[in-house]
Amino acid sequence: MANTVIGSTIVIDGEISGDEDLIILGTVKGRISLRETITVEEDGVVDANVETATITVNGSVTGNIVATDRAELRANCNVVGDIRAPRILIADGASFKGNVDMEG
Amino acid sequence: MARSKAVLESDDVGSTTIGRNIQVDGRISGEEDLRIEGRVDGAISLTETLYVDAEGVVVATVEARDVVVSGILLGDVTATNSVHLAAGAKLVGNISTPRLIIADGAAFRGDVEMTGVPAMERSKSAKAARNFSAPAQLRRGSGASVRTTSPDRPAASARSTARATDSREEDEVTVVVKHSNLRKGEKADAPKKRSKKIPARGKRRVNRR
Repeated sequence: MANTVIGSTIVIDGEISGDEDLIILGTVKGRISLRETITVEEDGVVDANVETATITVNGSVTGNIVATDRAELRANCNVVGDIRAPRILIADGASFKGNVDMEG
Repeated sequence: MARSKAVLESDDVGSTTIGRNIQVDGRISGEEDLRIEGRVDGAISLTETLYVDAEGVVVATVEARDVVVSGILLGDVTATNSVHLAAGAKLVGNISTPRLIIADGAAFRGDVEMTGVPAMERSKSAKAARNFSAPAQLRRGSGASVRTTSPDRPAASARSTARATDSREEDEVTVVVKHSNLRKGEKADAPKKRSKKIPARGKRRVNRR
């Protein structure tokens, strides 16, 4: 435990910040700023700019992603927005539209 | 990373948790239980239960069905079923709920308004309402009218078994009514359950006399 989960029927409209892993099965609108791992599950919808260390997307993200460690887009995900990360993994089947900036 | 994978496999995700190091600033709405161990500012609107854990801090207006507070909650709380302040809870704000439990050790400041009928107990109060209406019908005429006049009688009879178990406290009343029925020879058969439903409460006896 000690893990934050946003369930599938939850809608958060605002800002999330913190130091923990986050698993999103519901909807988040606004802004997310974490220092750990974010996992957007298949039913998850994120309509926000995301700043985090690692992000793994299986669902839908609309917004810019800034990952300081790694960004992973799995199959059947849908990302619209810019990604800035040193390491990026885009799996077959992922849908992505935006810029990619791998600094360094 | 390894930790998050473990959680996915164990799937102990039955409800939504906002962890200790997470702050949410905005509105949360949903249809499942929500457990807060971190900090939430803004507004929370749920159809299920909100748990504010011992380390949780909620500065928000809360609307939920049940609210269980073990941490800090600043803001008005509106619950449709119950509010429970456990020991160690601190709540500053107004509470509007049908049921309220404040445990020893909880700190609370605000107004309390106990409104309406708890969501879980609405059926019981409906049965009680029918119990009250029965004597009024009896006054109108003979006991037989009970069956015809009241539109909700048939529905009530369907629940008679349930009511019989509910009215254990009214056993004395029930027995008296039965006796009077047998004496009058009326409705000896008319579902004895019916007679149970009709609380004597002295009214029936008065009419008979």
